[in-house]
Amino acid sequence: MIPPFDYKTPNTIQEAIELLWQAEGKARIIAGGTDLAIGLRNGDQSPQSIIDITRIEELRKIEEKNGTISIGAAVTHSEIASSSLVKKHGKVLSDAASGIGSPQIRNLGTIGGNLINASPAADTIPPLMVLQAMGKVVTKGGERQVPLLQLFKGPYKTNLKPHELLAQITFPKLPPDMKTSFLRLARRDAMAIARISVAVVLKIEKRRFEDIKIAVGSITPTPERMSEAEAFLKGKSPDEVSLQKASLKISEAMIRQSGIRPSTSYKKPVVEALFIRAMKKALEE
Amino acid sequence: MERTIKFTLNGRLINVEVSPHWTLLKLLREKLRLTGTKEGCGIGECGACTVLMDGIPVNACLVLAPKVEGRKIETIEGLGSRESLHPLQKSFIDHGAIQCGFCTPGILMSSKALLEKNSNPNRKEIKEALSGHLCRCTGYHQIIEAIKKASEV
Repeated sequence: MIPPFDYKTPNTIQEAIELLWQAEGKARIIAGGTDLAIGLRNGDQSPQSIIDITRIEELRKIEEKNGTISIGAAVTHSEIASSSLVKKHGKVLSDAASGIGSPQIRNLGTIGGNLINASPAADTIPPLMVLQAMGKVVTKGGERQVPLLQLFKGPYKTNLKPHELLAQITFPKLPPDMKTSFLRLARRDAMAIARISVAVVLKIEKRRFEDIKIAVGSITPTPERMSEAEAFLKGKSPDEVSLQKASLKISEAMIRQSGIRPSTSYKKPVVEALFIRAMKKALEE
Repeated sequence: MERTIKFTLNGRLINVEVSPHWTLLKLLREKLRLTGTKEGCGIGECGACTVLMDGIPVNACLVLAPKVEGRKIETIEGLGSRESLHPLQKSFIDHGAIQCGFCTPGILMSSKALLEKNSNPNRKEIKEALSGHLCRCTGYHQIIEAIKKASEV
C-alpha cells in the first residue's frame, strides 16, 4: 500500500524548482517511477509531495549543440537506446541503455532517475563517466555544472541538495576515431541487475593506446574511473600481455575499495576477464 | 487530495476520480473493474501488469495514476471481444500458448506493440520484446510460435 501524498505536474523547469523550494526537503522528483514507485510501495520513501517532471518539454529532448550532446533528465532509456545522435556520438551510452531491465522498464525509466537513484549498479553511469559527462543542476536562482564523477557520495547517495534538480546531462561528442564498448554481467541477459559492468573508450594511434578511459560499475561503492589501469595502458601496445596486466589493476582497485568478500575469489578472475573482453570488443569495433 | 483525471482508455475518453498515490494498476482493477490486467510481483519484474501507454508497453504497477492524464492507455479488454478475437488472441489459442493464463494479458499487450512497430519480427526480436515477461507454465516456445504465426496472417 502506498501512503498518500500530493502529486504535482509542473510544465516548466522554473515551476518545478519553485515547488521543490517550497517543499523544504519533503518532496521527491518522479520521472519514470521505476525506482521510486517501488520505494513508495515498500515504505522506504514517504514524501509529502511528488513532483512529476515528465511534462517539462525541455527535459524530454536529446540535442546536439556546439560539439556537445545534451540529454534531458526525463529522457527514457528506450529513447536513448534508439537515438541516432547518441548512437553516433556516444554509442557506449546507447549500448548500455539498451540492456537496462526490460522493454517496459526502459520505456518508463529515465537517465536522470538512473543517476539520482545512484545505484552502484546503475548501467548508465560507467558509460557517462568515460564520456566525461557533466550534469546541469538547477535550483531557485541559480545553476551549476557538476562533473559526473563528483555527483555521487556513496551507494544510493548523491551530492544534490533537496531543493536541487538534475535537469540535463551533457557530454562532448566522441570523435569518430574513438572506439567504445560496454559489457555487463548479470544472472540473466534480461531483467537482472548488473553484478559487474565495464565501459571503455579508447583511441589507437600508431599501434599504441593514444587515449584510454575505463569505468566500472557494481564492484565499487559507486561506479568509478579506473585511473591506474588507464595510466598503465596509455602509450602501450594493445596486446594480450598489457591487457592482462591492466586487468590486474582493475581487480586490485575493486578489492581495495570493496574489501575481501565471500564472493571475491569468484569475482576477481571474472572482473579481469570481463574487462579484457570489453577491451577486445572495443578494439575490434 | 482526490483529483479527476482524463485519459483515453481503450479508445474511449474517460474522466475518473483517483487518489494520487494509486498506481495505474489499482485504478484499472479496483476502480474501473478491468481485471484482465494482472498483478504479479507489483515491482516491475514479472510483466503481468503490462499495458500500453501511448502505444508502448509499460508496467502498470510502476505508473502512478495521475501520470496517465491526457495519455492513451490500452489494456487487454480493448484487444478483442468474445465475438471477435484479435489475431494474436486466436493464434495464442491455436498454438497452445496459454496454460494458467496469468501472464497472457501482459504478453499479448507487448506482442501487439511489437507487431505494430515491426510487422514481421524474427525469433530474436520476439524474444527481446518478451524479455520483460515471466511465464511459469508454457516455457515460452508456444508463445513465440503464436506471435510468429500471428505476424504472418
